[in-house]
Amino acid sequence: MVETTSDQRDKTEIDRITAELKRQRQQVALVAEVTLKIRQSLQLQEILRVIVTEVQRILQADRVLIYQVLPDGTGKPISEAVLPDYPAILGMQFPEEVFPTDYQQRYAQGRVRSIADVRDPAAGLADCLIELVEQFAIKAKLIVPILQNLSAQQPTDPAQNQLWGLLIAHQCSQPRLWVEFELELMQQLADQISVALAQSQLLEHLEERVAARTAELQSANQRLQQEISDRMQTEAALRHSEEQLRLITNALPVLIAYINEQQQYSFNNQAYADWLGIAPEQIHGCHLRQIWGEACYRVMQPQVEAVLSGKMVIYENEITTQDGSRRSVNVTYIPHVNPQQQVQGFFALISDISNRKAIERIKDEFISVVSHELRTPLTSLHSALKILTTGRLGILSLDGQQMLEIADENTDRLVRLVNNVLDLQRIESGEVQMEKRACSAAALMMQAVESMQPMANQHGVQLSLAAQSVDHLLWVDSDYIVQALTNLLSNAIKFSAAGSTVWLLAEAEATELLFQVRDQGQGIPDHKLESIFERFQQVDSSDSRRKGGTGLGLAICRKIIERHQGKIWAESVLGQGSTFFFTVPMFRLPAQLPAQIFANLPAKSSANPLKTARQRNG
Amino acid sequence: MAKRILIIDDEETIQTVVRFGIRLAAGWEVITASSGSTGIATAQAERPDVILLDVMMPEMDGISTFKILQSHPETEQIPVILLTAKAQAAEQRQFDELGVSGVITKPFNSLNLPEQITKLLYWQ
Repeated sequence: MVETTSDQRDKTEIDRITAELKRQRQQVALVAEVTLKIRQSLQLQEILRVIVTEVQRILQADRVLIYQVLPDGTGKPISEAVLPDYPAILGMQFPEEVFPTDYQQRYAQGRVRSIADVRDPAAGLADCLIELVEQFAIKAKLIVPILQNLSAQQPTDPAQNQLWGLLIAHQCSQPRLWVEFELELMQQLADQISVALAQSQLLEHLEERVAARTAELQSANQRLQQEISDRMQTEAALRHSEEQLRLITNALPVLIAYINEQQQYSFNNQAYADWLGIAPEQIHGCHLRQIWGEACYRVMQPQVEAVLSGKMVIYENEITTQDGSRRSVNVTYIPHVNPQQQVQGFFALISDISNRKAIERIKDEFISVVSHELRTPLTSLHSALKILTTGRLGILSLDGQQMLEIADENTDRLVRLVNNVLDLQRIESGEVQMEKRACSAAALMMQAVESMQPMANQHGVQLSLAAQSVDHLLWVDSDYIVQALTNLLSNAIKFSAAGSTVWLLAEAEATELLFQVRDQGQGIPDHKLESIFERFQQVDSSDSRRKGGTGLGLAICRKIIERHQGKIWAESVLGQGSTFFFTVPMFRLPAQLPAQIFANLPAKSSANPLKTARQRNG
Repeated sequence: MAKRILIIDDEETIQTVVRFGIRLAAGWEVITASSGSTGIATAQAERPDVILLDVMMPEMDGISTFKILQSHPETEQIPVILLTAKAQAAEQRQFDELGVSGVITKPFNSLNLPEQITKLLYWQ
């Protein structure tokens, strides 16, 4: 018996151990499964569903639920596994009274409640709660807290634990005495829920971060896209405007270029290809000399140097085009000055003026031929009248003499006009060269005054030549400067009243000599001071008839002075007189020239007898 | 000191005013010719003191006439003064190189010719 009892006891013991082992295996398996599910799933709802289902199955409980405690003290079951015989309470909102704050605090500290029979007064359940649990047919219950650690830095600090909810098992069929392992299992699973909560929170946080970062990236991407599109638009606009510019410059029948400081082409239009047969891209980067050749470059060089020093220049040149024809061109160089006032290069504009030049040549030829053809009949007329006025071929009546005088005076005027027209045309067309030599300013002034003295006497005007303390050497064509001086003196005498004075003065400036012819005449109105230098522009149109002028004297003076790189202008006070000024370059002795060239200077007049003869005619 | 002047010019009016002018102003004798070839013959026959020679003439122009005058021993010593409507620098240089004694440009006053000739040829 004893044996049997003992055996039975042993068997019972073995059964108990076996059951215990099985239960433990189940518990381990359940915890492992839940842990795996938590790992596999980041969906909290799914995890909670698994837990309640598994707990209900293993504990053979009638209902297992997860009750979430909300911040305002109320709460609701958010996951539930319940046998079909009993009412489900999932989603029901429970008032705060069901779960007072002091309970919460105790649970937060890790309290576990195991109630075998809710009706047993030892369980200590309040009456209102008993009513509640009976409403859901609860006979026994097991409650473990689900805690959430709020501290990210120190997850293990219990002070930071907050009650998130409760894991609750109900027995509805009958009271139940909960055993240790069931408690343990519930606690372990509650811990797993905490882990899942933390993970979920982390995930949520991570998702937030990802969302924020994604939004940032998206906005950055958008900005970049916008920037790229803006830039593309700007580039397109630039390209478009450049194309337009190129279209315009290419369509123009003039050479347009930009040349840098090193005298190399940075830009040139299509006309270069048309004129020179060199494509624009072949010209790019080439030096001016390379493109135009040595001879042409020699003419360009001083102009290029001038524009690179910041001065705009306009000049004429001759070029040879690709078909070998010579073309006359007008060249304009405009300096490109940066805000720091440095010249970075220049713009070149070259236009073909061959047609204009051809017309000018025809005009010059016409003037030349006409004035030459007029000369022979004029010689006869002039001489015949002069001979008649001597009276040696017979004496005319007084009326006859008056008519003869008119004919004679007007022939004189016609002779002057023909001479002046031809002079002006020759100087303008560049047909005559200014034969510049070093000559004495005082000698030229003396010569001009001497030749105008008879006219001054005739008008009763005193000619005053201001003596200079130092004589200056000029670098001029003496004949033409004397012509300019006599023209000015002749004008001054013509417009002076008898008894007044005409002065001829000279004043040295840095590199030039300033001549002045001053009179005490009627003066010139301001608005005429410029135009009187134009041909046939007298102050008063009746002047030419009254004074016997040709209207070309000042135009000739201006051309002569311009050909000497000088300036000419007039100043006047109405009723008090006028002063005509002009400048001519002074002779600068080059270091290498021997001083003896002074020995051969003409003291007076030109050494050329032909010119002298010409001047005395008429 | 009376001089003999030969004027060679195809324009008869020029011949006339030159003759009248010189005679009135200086009393010199003026002989005339209307072309280069007759002028050369006249020069050879008359041996004038100076020849006034028009540059622009039909058939034989003044320059050719001058060259022929220079090539004849009878006329090569006679000074020649050109009468021209053209007085451009280039032409003047050309005339200088030819060896003429002077150039007088048209239009001139024939009364002034004796004075101009005297000056050009250094007659005193």
